[in-house]
Amino acid sequence: MATATASPSSAGVPVGPGLSMFDPIFIGIDEFGQPVYITLAYRNLLAGGEPGGGKSGLLNCIAAHAALSVDSRLVLLDGKLVELGQWEDSADAFIGPDITAALDVLRRLQVVMNNRYAWLRAHNRRKVTALDGLSVITVLVDEIAFYSATVGSKQEEFVALLRDLVARGRAAGIPVVAATQRPSFDIIPTSLRDLFGYRAAFRCTTPNSSNIVLGHGWAEQGYSATDIAPTNQGAAYLIAEGGIPRRIKVAYLSDSQIAGIADYAAWIRRPGTITTPPSSPADWGMAA
Amino acid sequence: MSKSSPRRPFGGRSNGTVTVIEARVHRSSARNARLAFVMTAVIVGLLAAVVAASYMHPILALFVGIGVGVPLGGIVWVLVRIWPVIRLLWWWTPEIGLAGLLLVGWVQLASHTPTLVTLLVVALVVGVPAGVPVIRRQIMAWGWCLVVRHRLRVCFAQFIIANQSGSLPLILWATPTPVGERVWVYLRPGLSVKDLEGRLDKIAVTCHASTVLIERASDGNAAYVRFDIKRREVLTANVGSPLVDVIDPATPTVEQAPPVVPTALDLPDVQAPTITLPKQQGTSGSKPAKPAATAAANGSKPAAASSSVPDDDVSDWI
Ligand SMILES: Nc1ncnc2c1ncn2[C@@H]1O[C@H](COP(=O)(O)OP(=O)(O)OP(=O)(O)O)[C@@H](O)[C@H]1O
Ligand SMILES: [Mg+2]
Repeated sequence: MATATASPSSAGVPVGPGLSMFDPIFIGIDEFGQPVYITLAYRNLLAGGEPGGGKSGLLNCIAAHAALSVDSRLVLLDGKLVELGQWEDSADAFIGPDITAALDVLRRLQVVMNNRYAWLRAHNRRKVTALDGLSVITVLVDEIAFYSATVGSKQEEFVALLRDLVARGRAAGIPVVAATQRPSFDIIPTSLRDLFGYRAAFRCTTPNSSNIVLGHGWAEQGYSATDIAPTNQGAAYLIAEGGIPRRIKVAYLSDSQIAGIADYAAWIRRPGTITTPPSSPADWGMAA
Repeated sequence: MSKSSPRRPFGGRSNGTVTVIEARVHRSSARNARLAFVMTAVIVGLLAAVVAASYMHPILALFVGIGVGVPLGGIVWVLVRIWPVIRLLWWWTPEIGLAGLLLVGWVQLASHTPTLVTLLVVALVVGVPAGVPVIRRQIMAWGWCLVVRHRLRVCFAQFIIANQSGSLPLILWATPTPVGERVWVYLRPGLSVKDLEGRLDKIAVTCHASTVLIERASDGNAAYVRFDIKRREVLTANVGSPLVDVIDPATPTVEQAPPVVPTALDLPDVQAPTITLPKQQGTSGSKPAKPAATAAANGSKPAAASSSVPDDDVSDWI
């Protein structure tokens, strides 16, 4: 984590950009040239597609928004270490290819989730809203196959914990965004895959792979990610609010742009600037 | 043809193997026209007679009814008989209208202005849209909209046989989209979105397009669908993120500990752990373990070393 040396001389102290995780997140444009937004606060997103398709680009786009949002915390799990590595200073947890650490952070998230539901119950409410002042804890998992399939015996616990988060985290403000190349049943169980409401299919090599990402039957209806050109990285079919796949092009952030945003986010997030909301109870301070 | 049709009213067939074409032939236009004539004449005639009866003697009213009903029925009969022609005119209405406008414009221009001015105006009218890319593309897009409606009808007429009477879906308006066209269609009985989805590739070929997608255009009416015809890929340019503009580049950076840079970045730098594993188990294997590990860079030697390990080691391993 960043060791903040917040200079007391307040010359040029930036003002927070005022983004919120409850705001729609800009992720690109569609075929009509219209901007495409998704609201992630109550949704889970699964991205799939062949290597080099642009999945990590989408995750970075979401991470950038989350990092700049004042009411957001980031939990990053990245099997490749480099895809989300630049956000490490803005994130509350950054886990590389280390399943033990991943399990630890998922267990923490589970406790937070349970506490939040208890808190909601105590207030006779059913879901966290923007007015609660609770932070949205965005969980980004890149290369989910690394945690759920390629590492030995702990994978089952990982899958179980993640499934619980995906299933119950929604209303508690803990959205999960996961990316993997081909989320077939041997990589993540179908019971987990089908819980993701939003899907993004980058280029796939077979209609079957496309169906695995988008959901059964879409390829037969003409929505097959095989017709994306291999050179057109970042183009994808997205199932979001509309329920029908839309062809989109994901906004791309270059390494230096990410570095700029990450530095800025790390600065506005340095300890002492993010104000914990006054209404927030102390019992779930474990998340911090 | 018309002789056989009364014997099998409403297409009631004894065997289920009558093909659609045959049924369509049976329902000839002549029979339809006669039916329309009788229906119109009877209904209009009766209505006219009833109305007229309140003004005059019923028998006179009957004659009035016949006098009104029969001519009207005749008109309807003619309409039904020439219906194929009317339909054709209706399909080509935009083109006919455009051609008429152009013709009238040309004639008016030619007869009211000297030749030089006429040529100048024509050159302007043709040259400016052809020369300005934005206008040219817009006109091409609208032109494709006209073309694609005809192509879609060809699809429905040629290989998407909907029902026995061969009625074609109503092809409504079309608008250009950045990737191609979007056409709204009202399906007739006998077709569904599912039927059409099985033929997307053929429809794309017929429309000279790359892909075709079909969506329902209305939540409440399954007959109202939308064809998205795609003939070019537009999502090829890079898209920037507006978040880049949100940040302040003059922000001081948070100081952080310098990251640990790992070494051993090439294959020879990393020793294979599997080679040392059997050596630890084997009682006499401690000696050859070292050369095997250090020689890993050369590639051929470790294989020889591992193959030289005695058999008992392998059985231990298993
Ligand atoms: N939205 C985009 N616009 C333009 N280029 C892109 C976009 N997204 C990705 N690319 C290009 O594609 C390359 C690979 O993208 P990315 O790393 O996101 O792929 P990936 O799907 O995560 O691959 P992997 O499965 O190997 O992790 C990037 O380095 C970039 O050059
Ligand atoms: Mg990636």
